[in-house]
Amino acid sequence: MTGKTQARARRALFSASGYHGTGILLAVFFLAPFAITILSSFRHGTEARLPPVPPWPTNGVSLDAYRSLDSFGAGVWQHTLNSAAVAIGTALLTVAVSLLAGYGFSRYRFKFKNALFVLIIATLMIPFQSILTPLFIILAKLGLNNSLIGLTLVYVTLQLPFSVFMMRNAFDAVPKEIEEAARIDGARDLGLLIRVLLPLVLPGIVTVAIFAFLNSWNEFLAALVLLSDNSKFTLPILISAVRAGRLGAIDWGAVQAGVTVMSVPCLFVFLLLQRYYMRGLMTGAVK
Amino acid sequence: MSDSGVQLTEVRKSFGSMEVIHGVDLSIPDGAFVVFVGPSGCGKSTLLRMIAGLEEVTDGEIAIKGRDVTDVDPSQRGIAMVFQSYALYPHMTVRDNLAFGLKMQRTDKAVIDDRVAAAAAILKIEPLMDRRPGQLSGGQRQRVAIGRAIVRQPEVFLFDEPLSNLDAELRVSMRVEIARLHRELGNTMIYVTHDQTEAMTLADVIVVLRDGRIEQAGSPRTVYEDPDNAFVAGFIGSPRMNLLDAVWRGDGKVDLARRTETAPIRGDGLLPGDRVTFGLRPEHLVVGATEGIEARVDVLEYLGGTRYLYCQLTDGQPLIVEYRDGPDVRSGDTIRLGCPPNRRYVFNESGLRIR
Repeated sequence: MTGKTQARARRALFSASGYHGTGILLAVFFLAPFAITILSSFRHGTEARLPPVPPWPTNGVSLDAYRSLDSFGAGVWQHTLNSAAVAIGTALLTVAVSLLAGYGFSRYRFKFKNALFVLIIATLMIPFQSILTPLFIILAKLGLNNSLIGLTLVYVTLQLPFSVFMMRNAFDAVPKEIEEAARIDGARDLGLLIRVLLPLVLPGIVTVAIFAFLNSWNEFLAALVLLSDNSKFTLPILISAVRAGRLGAIDWGAVQAGVTVMSVPCLFVFLLLQRYYMRGLMTGAVK
Repeated sequence: MSDSGVQLTEVRKSFGSMEVIHGVDLSIPDGAFVVFVGPSGCGKSTLLRMIAGLEEVTDGEIAIKGRDVTDVDPSQRGIAMVFQSYALYPHMTVRDNLAFGLKMQRTDKAVIDDRVAAAAAILKIEPLMDRRPGQLSGGQRQRVAIGRAIVRQPEVFLFDEPLSNLDAELRVSMRVEIARLHRELGNTMIYVTHDQTEAMTLADVIVVLRDGRIEQAGSPRTVYEDPDNAFVAGFIGSPRMNLLDAVWRGDGKVDLARRTETAPIRGDGLLPGDRVTFGLRPEHLVVGATEGIEARVDVLEYLGGTRYLYCQLTDGQPLIVEYRDGPDVRSGDTIRLGCPPNRRYVFNESGLRIR
């Protein structure tokens, strides 16, 4: 009897250590690049040119890499602000528009509703690189080329099909009776949307906001094409300039510092909102 | 009109080209408890939702307390509704759920607090006030949903199958609770259900609907004892009434399963030789008569207090008998059935009751 119990305990220990071991290994794989980048961004300027092993500062911590990064373009603060403005603006505008559109598509009956919806989704199939030139021309005609507002509008446009789809699903998952109860209670239109439905589709909103923020924060090609003024460049363009180096010499420390500056806000946004985000994907999946 | 709680006049409803409510006329007295029953798809919920204002009225008029509300916003009709799925606001506490309607009407804060407290006391949900719907059991949620209706102090309460999501035991206690509520508040209540027991026990007036038409409206006793047609006779009562093919012989006689039975009616509009439906309720059939309908017992269901005998007549028609006590009956036995004369119903070929 005891032999059996021991065998079972051994097996349980074995499978538990296998489970956690695999988990730890995978976590190390995913976290190592972040750790290496962040650690090596604090190496001394002289160390930056050395082979990257070991990746951590051996000669004391220094902010040389960040100083060097700041010497590119219009200064790292300016570019971070540009990126933040575009990303936050995109997230807010995308949420506002897709919230209303998703509500409309989910709850109102109108002609060609499904055709319109399919049309919106269908635009996902067009690679945006292929419409970059027309976009550039349209923005120029509107006097919005080389402006962060123009870039934000382009990002919102690219972000909307997925977001409208997401918000429609979120609204579809809200039982109709709740809305009807609210109508009987006297809530109507915008009041109904904000006071009753908004909290119920919050996971969807967060998902849309995270996607909009991350995609516009990281976007490179449209920013490169549509912006021409040095002081208006977003972070990805700065990083590419740093990566290209000066006179053939690449400052690897500055590159690591740039990557750190770019990835830390994304991590924060995601970690802060991830529990809503997971629920958001769920409401979309299971009606 | 002024003593009428709710008045429906020639009310019609179409979805696209399909008409689902075909001109319903109904006058509900003030303070009455009215139950809409009928098979699924008969339009009972649609009719209720039209009274609530959640469905547009295609044609006709709805008046509440003498005021035409056909095109009035749901919140301005003086109604409150309790949904089958409770439809509580999941992100609000019980207190906020109750107060929401009053807040939307910009009611004074002190008045809101008073009314919410009063409703909570009536439903005994005071300890739950700071919880959210997700933390409540089904019965508690339904109490909150009813509380939300009470707080609005409506002229008319509308219930859309409110007990269907509850388990059997809770359903019985909530049913009693709703009856108590009606007695205490005295408001007009309209209640949709497919559960006969709820209909029979709660209603002052039962409205039996089929395919968007009222088949009969009357007290539970009337629809059970004096049904207007074969549909109502079959729908009300459990197990359902035995509806047997028979032939009218005239002079209060029908031919049923190679025998002649008496049917104590004048038989207006019937000619000898007409096919009729002979209706006998399982609970009115008496086993052990010396003279009577002959039937062979196929299957016997034992339910403790009572037994259901599934029988066949000599011509093969099925018949259910409710058997309470008496000598043991086994499947395969042949029994003779009697029935009091005033419990025999005759319907003509189109299903109308012949008296």
